[in-house]
Parts: sequence; structure tokens; C-alpha cells
Amino acid sequence: MLKHTACAVGLTALISMTTEAAQVQAPEDVLGALIENNDSAYLTQSQQNIMMMPDNPALWTADEGKALFLEARGPNNKSLETCDLGKGPGVVEGAYVELPRYFEDTGRVMDLESRLVYCMTNIQGFSADDPEVKRRHGSDSDMMKLQTYIASQSSGLPWNPPLDHPLEQAMRDAGEVMFYRRAGTSDFSCATCHTQTGKRIRASVLPNINEPHEWTKAISWPAFRVGQQNVRSSTHRIRGCYWQMRQPQITPGSDAAIALMAYWTDAARGQPAILPDKKR
Amino acid sequence: MMQQPIPLMRRRLAGVLLTCGLLMAVSQLLASDQPASPEAAYRAMSPEELADYLIFEMGGFDLEAPTQDGGTARERLVQDRTQKICSAIARGGAELDRPTAAKISALAEESMQFPEGGVTLGDWRQGEAIARSGFGYRIGHRTDDHGSQSPGGNCYACHQLDPNEIAHGTVGPSLAGYGRLRGTSDAMLKHTYQILYNAHLFFPCTTMPRFGHQGTLTQEQIRDVMAYLLDPESPVNQEPEQTARAD
Repeated sequence: MLKHTACAVGLTALISMTTEAAQVQAPEDVLGALIENNDSAYLTQSQQNIMMMPDNPALWTADEGKALFLEARGPNNKSLETCDLGKGPGVVEGAYVELPRYFEDTGRVMDLESRLVYCMTNIQGFSADDPEVKRRHGSDSDMMKLQTYIASQSSGLPWNPPLDHPLEQAMRDAGEVMFYRRAGTSDFSCATCHTQTGKRIRASVLPNINEPHEWTKAISWPAFRVGQQNVRSSTHRIRGCYWQMRQPQITPGSDAAIALMAYWTDAARGQPAILPDKKR
Repeated sequence: MMQQPIPLMRRRLAGVLLTCGLLMAVSQLLASDQPASPEAAYRAMSPEELADYLIFEMGGFDLEAPTQDGGTARERLVQDRTQKICSAIARGGAELDRPTAAKISALAEESMQFPEGGVTLGDWRQGEAIARSGFGYRIGHRTDDHGSQSPGGNCYACHQLDPNEIAHGTVGPSLAGYGRLRGTSDAMLKHTYQILYNAHLFFPCTTMPRFGHQGTLTQEQIRDVMAYLLDPESPVNQEPEQTARAD
């Protein structure tokens, strides 16, 4: 571990740039470094949100999530400390940036949300219909608290979902097809908005999936959405996109949703995550 | 689609596994405790096949939700030929070759329908409202009710139009001064109509929606939007004030 001398800080920065940050970092520091090292209209929009990141309400949501994670709950009166998020039971640090991934115990590629559902039902004994599990949206939902906490423990770490298992590769590739799949009354696909740099929809600058330093922020969910005054999940973002595209609602936890997330995470591979983020 | 023929035994196996997958797939809105993925089936499919399978057969979307035109959400995900070709090209990162561009343009030509009595201009004030409004055709958790409000064209999502409006998108080219720069000849009216109806005629695989072909703007709305673009009185065609800061 490098001590914080002036020389070591410089060396750390150099190592961080070449080998990607290996330590959990505050999201505003991650974003600050990305802005400094890149020229991006997307990253630098909404100066007020950037300035207020140290006071991001999502940080309180993450705190609440940590307490929930450690609390013995549900019919089985167990905590989530034995929940395997991909790096072993109870290992939270760095787990989020390695999702979605294949899990032997379910035979599926899973994202964080579906994995939490699995742990809450199988370890804690909740049923899928219990509000603790069923309610996915809102800063005051258990789901968002837990997701925000778990994600925050990956802030600054590089996105690195595994592609070793053939299902991981198959899902990622299917997700790529979905990303480019034009359909609906407006002929939109994700690619319609997300394959050019510096373009705007109305007043909002769009992230380009082909620019990893932009795409890492694009997929940094959970994030506090100022306009909605709530912390939102990846699923919520995707749902909003399909709604705007005049296409049907995607099913959370379905292989379709997870395939899309497998692709979009692979696209940000190596870039540091900004978690929790603060967005418009 | 050019593909290696899959050996008979693998096809049979994939078929059996697909059927098992179908039987096992739980069609709930929240797929909370889904069974294991039919791994061999997924691996036997191409990415395009798997994507369609996940969309249409594995409960990936709420396909039964109602749409504004009396159908179901499924229709919104079934692709037509133009969508299929343009999707494949975008995904492959390939350049549009001339024969493919000509094919897309020809499909647009086939789809073109002109109004009775020829192409005319409507009311630019109505056109402005249509250009500004992003309402319409959204389905799912909040379905736009076309009975309470008429759908808009959402032009400002992608285009500059009125030079005084700063909250405009840049995905499409600026249309500020559209009519002032082009005039209102019959040829220009027809050209503008064709772009709104099906822009693929001139710009194969364009990002722009096919407002006429898809029916997302009515003939009356198209006339009004055209007036917003072409009428000399429209804000689109007023010269912006020349100040020291003007570009």
C-alpha cells in the first residue's frame, strides 16, 4: 500500500491510469479523473450535479442498504452475509462490477437485482410476492437500498464481467443484437441514440457506447435521479429507454434484460465505475 | 441469412431443449425464481436467433400489453425488412453499399402514399405544437392516452427548428431557416413531404422515424409540420436577431 506522500500520489495516479484504479474510490473522484483525462461533453454536462456529488442523497440510501444487508430478516431470520454475489458468500467489495455473471447454483447468468431476489428468497425465506422483494423502485425500497450499497462497494473499480462461461458469451452477444435492434413505431434502437459522440436529445448530451470513458457513466446505476428525486436502478433506466422508444416493457430479471445488461457492461470494460452516481 | 446448415442431430436436440425451455419458462411479469437457462439451446442459436428467442419466447417483454391502435405490444417488436436490414448493418459497423442503399430506398418508394389533392401546407401554429410535443405511442407502465391528448412529432428531440429555441436536439441536422433557404415550390413541398413520410427514400437507414409510413403523424399533422418548416411566417424562417453573440 502506497503512503500518501506527494511522490507516491503521483505514482499512484500513473499506476491508476495504466492499470485502472484497483481501490474503491468516491464516485466524484472517479468522475473527476475521467473528466480530466478525456474531452467529453457528456461527462461534463450538469455542473450542478457534479458539484453536489459529495452530498448525493444516494449515499444515505447506501448506508441504509448496508444496515439491511447485515440485519437478520425474513422468515428464516438470516442476514445476507452468506449471499454469493459472484465472488464468494458475503463478498461485496468488487462484486457489482463483475455482474452479470453465470451462477452454478441457478444455472443462469444473473444481474444484481435477480441475484438479490435469489438470496432474499433462498437465504432469508421471503417469497417473491413479499413487498421486501417485490418492490423494486423508490429510494425507500429495500431493493434500492441493498442495490445502492452493494454497488457503492465497487465504485472506482473497473467493469469486468466474466465471459469465461459459454452462457455469459451467448447472453452478451444476444444483448448486442438487442442493442442494435430497430423496431416499433419510431424505428428506434438503443443504437439510435447511443452510437454518436456529443449529440443531444433536446438539452441532454447522450453517451456513446463506443466511447468507454462515457459509457462507464452511462451504466453507473444505481444513481440518484434529481428530476425524479429517487435513486434508480439499471432496470429502471432500461425500462425508461424502452418506454421512450415506444417499445414494450422489458421484464426485470428476464434473460432478455440480463442479456442487454451483459452487453452494456462489457462495453464499459476496464473503465472505473461511478457508484452511486448523480444524474438529471 | 447465410448460415452453415446445423447437423440434423443438433437441430433435433435444440428443438427438444427449446420445447423444454418453453414448457419450463414461467411467464410472470417479475421473473423472480426463473428456472435454469436452457444452456445447450442458447449455445446452439446464433446471437440473432437467441435475441428473438429471449424477446418472444422467454418472457423478455410484456408482449400482451395493449397499444393505442387496438393491438398488442408484440407488434412493436416484430421487425419489418427495413428495420431488419438497417439493424444488421448498424451492428456490423459496415458501410451501406450502393445496392443495399438502393434496396432500402426502393422499399421507401413502395411505401410512399401522397394525399388526395396533392401536397399542401397547413397551419404553422399547429405544426409548432406538434413539433414541440413528445406525447404519444408510449406504452407499458404509462400508456399515452390518445383520447386525452393527440400525439406529437417530437421534432425538437432531434432537430433545431425555431432559431430562438435552445432546448433542441442535435441528432438530426438543423432545420432553422428551412423554408427561407429553400422556398415553397411544388418540388420542395413534395420533397419535404417525402422526408416526413419515409425519409429512407433519400437517406437509407436514416435515424429519422417514418412518420407517414408508420402512421404516427396524420396527413393533417404532416401538413401542419410542413407549414412550420416552410411557411415564410413561421418562427422557423425568421432571421435570428444579429447580435455580437450570434453565430
